[in-house]
Amino acid sequence: MSSSLSPLIHLIDDDDAVRSSLALLISTVGLRVQAWADPQAFMNGFDRQSVGAIVLDVRMPGISGLSVLGTLKEQGVDQPVIMLTGHGTVEMCRRAFKAGAAEFLEKPVDDEALLEALQTAVRQHVKSRGRNQADRQAQARFAQLSAREREVLGLITDGLTNKEIGRALDLSPRTVESHRANLFAKLEADSLAQLIRHYAALVDADS
Amino acid sequence: MLQVHRHRLPWILLWCLLTALGGLALAQAKLGQIQTAFETDARIVHRLLSQRVVQHDAVLATLALLQPDAETTETSPPEQRLPSVYPQITGVQRRNREASWLDGQLQVAETLSRALRRPALAGADLNRGHYQLVLAAEPTSFALQLDLRAVVPWSEWPMAPDTSPVRVTLTHEGQSFVVQPGLLQGGGWLFEFHKHLATESQPFDVMAARQVGWGELPWGWMLGWAVLAAALLLAGRLLLRQRTERQRAEELLRLGQVARLNTLGELAAGMAHELNQPLTAVLANTQAASRMLNDEPPELSSARGAMLQAVEQARRASDVVGRLRRAVERPDSAAHMQPVELEDAVRNALYLLEPEFKRHHFVSQLDASTGPTIVLAEPVALEQIIHNLLMNAQQALEQVPASERRLTVTVSTQGKLGVISIADSGPGIAVDVLPRIFEPFFTTREAGLGLGLSLCETLASGLGGSLTAEHNAPRGAVFRLSLPLVVSP
Repeated sequence: MSSSLSPLIHLIDDDDAVRSSLALLISTVGLRVQAWADPQAFMNGFDRQSVGAIVLDVRMPGISGLSVLGTLKEQGVDQPVIMLTGHGTVEMCRRAFKAGAAEFLEKPVDDEALLEALQTAVRQHVKSRGRNQADRQAQARFAQLSAREREVLGLITDGLTNKEIGRALDLSPRTVESHRANLFAKLEADSLAQLIRHYAALVDADS
Repeated sequence: MLQVHRHRLPWILLWCLLTALGGLALAQAKLGQIQTAFETDARIVHRLLSQRVVQHDAVLATLALLQPDAETTETSPPEQRLPSVYPQITGVQRRNREASWLDGQLQVAETLSRALRRPALAGADLNRGHYQLVLAAEPTSFALQLDLRAVVPWSEWPMAPDTSPVRVTLTHEGQSFVVQPGLLQGGGWLFEFHKHLATESQPFDVMAARQVGWGELPWGWMLGWAVLAAALLLAGRLLLRQRTERQRAEELLRLGQVARLNTLGELAAGMAHELNQPLTAVLANTQAASRMLNDEPPELSSARGAMLQAVEQARRASDVVGRLRRAVERPDSAAHMQPVELEDAVRNALYLLEPEFKRHHFVSQLDASTGPTIVLAEPVALEQIIHNLLMNAQQALEQVPASERRLTVTVSTQGKLGVISIADSGPGIAVDVLPRIFEPFFTTREAGLGLGLSLCETLASGLGGSLTAEHNAPRGAVFRLSLPLVVSP
């Protein structure tokens, strides 16, 4: 799990000089770099779990950077992709963004531009990974609820009081209170606000 | 040759069709005209003959009514004087009271006449041209002996009896009398007319016939029409071909421009890639080195390595530029130098651009000195220079209102130089821009590459000439291309 600790940048460019110089430049800000000369080898071998970003040259022999980008997105790779091109046209830029590129930079690229784009991309990736993890945890907790508890949760997120919920579900306020305590415990929620923020979307999707 | 024939065949077929249709129409008109004339003549003939034979009925009726006395003191009865008045009457006979005809035929005719109460024919011999007419009366009946030859009123006849091609005959019971022989022979067309004479007593059939031979068709007119059609078609074909050629030339011109742009685009893309790779490496290496030197403590050995890499990549970039220059260097154009008439070259370029000018609502004016101005040049290069300069002028003119657009091209000589001046009434060239306009990649246009004028200047000096730009009075710019005149031996 050491790979997920510090961000890893995947750099794909067929030109040795470009690849090594960019790798050197990226390493000066403390980011780890894995450089690939062959796009196919990269797609077969890179660590999809790693946190970080991908720097991809548009013009490569054999397979174009744009089609690599397309394949990555189809496969659900969530690392942000920064495209590099020597001869960028508006049309190419448009296609890159449409295919899901995070950034589009022209060669020769200035260090500030590249490093800032990389750091932004890495930050976003870390954040989205965290958010996804939280989502997964919330889903797991939500799955533990009984049918009655889900009903009660739905009415709580709708803003009803215990009394109103009891009337709506034909239950005594005491029973409602007990369901409420149970679901707060199962969902590991400390406050009503927290409960609503994390689970309102799940309730809507469930009903 | 086959190609040519295939192109000509439809035209030849069209000509045949036109000639046939026109010839048919002409022949039909002529035949109609002949037929109308013939029918008119035939009707006149019928009327004239009818008028004449009706007289015979009248003469007989008069005799029957007056009953001139045969027993007069004079030597002969009065009716015997009739032949002197009517040349067609060759004799008059009478049957006196209680007497009978010597000729049995006259007797039969008289009986018939009495029954019909009108004159009756007797002893008609049309083949020889005579017949008799009898009218029964009391006490004395009369008979006229008639000669058909004298019946015809030649003085009023509508045709020349000896030369007219119309045949006119009188027929009766299988016999016929030829009034006018006409000319009936050979193939062609036959017009006919027949009608009974307008009297019951002499029921002769007037037959007229007109044979129109092939020779009478209007061959001269038809030939004329064929020639005219051929001339019209040739002219049409020429016009069409000219138009096609012009379209093709315009198409070629357009394609040439597109091709030039494509080549340039390709070149730029290739150059960008070839140069961008080393430049990217140089930039990344030097910036990485700079960052490493700023570290505390500085990473000297890594920075040194990065700088060495940068140097190597800078060399690589310079190699790319050298290769590119060698690749696009123009071969020596002196090998293709030949005498070129400047006015023709200008006219060609103007002709090709004329539609473009028209689209921008202005016309070009060409002023040429007297006599041909022949310079030594490479025709393709010269054409390219003129074309580019004209396009430049057009783009300048687009910036002023349509009513103020003037483009004047002048061909003249200046010492040993032939000079083309292209003057426009556009916005002109700013003073600070003027010295730089022939620099490569220098442009004042939004989408310009800045290569057009630079290329023109390079080409002009390659031809041993020069290209200059000045202000045009009162406004606009004038470009002067000077090329060495051919030295006459």
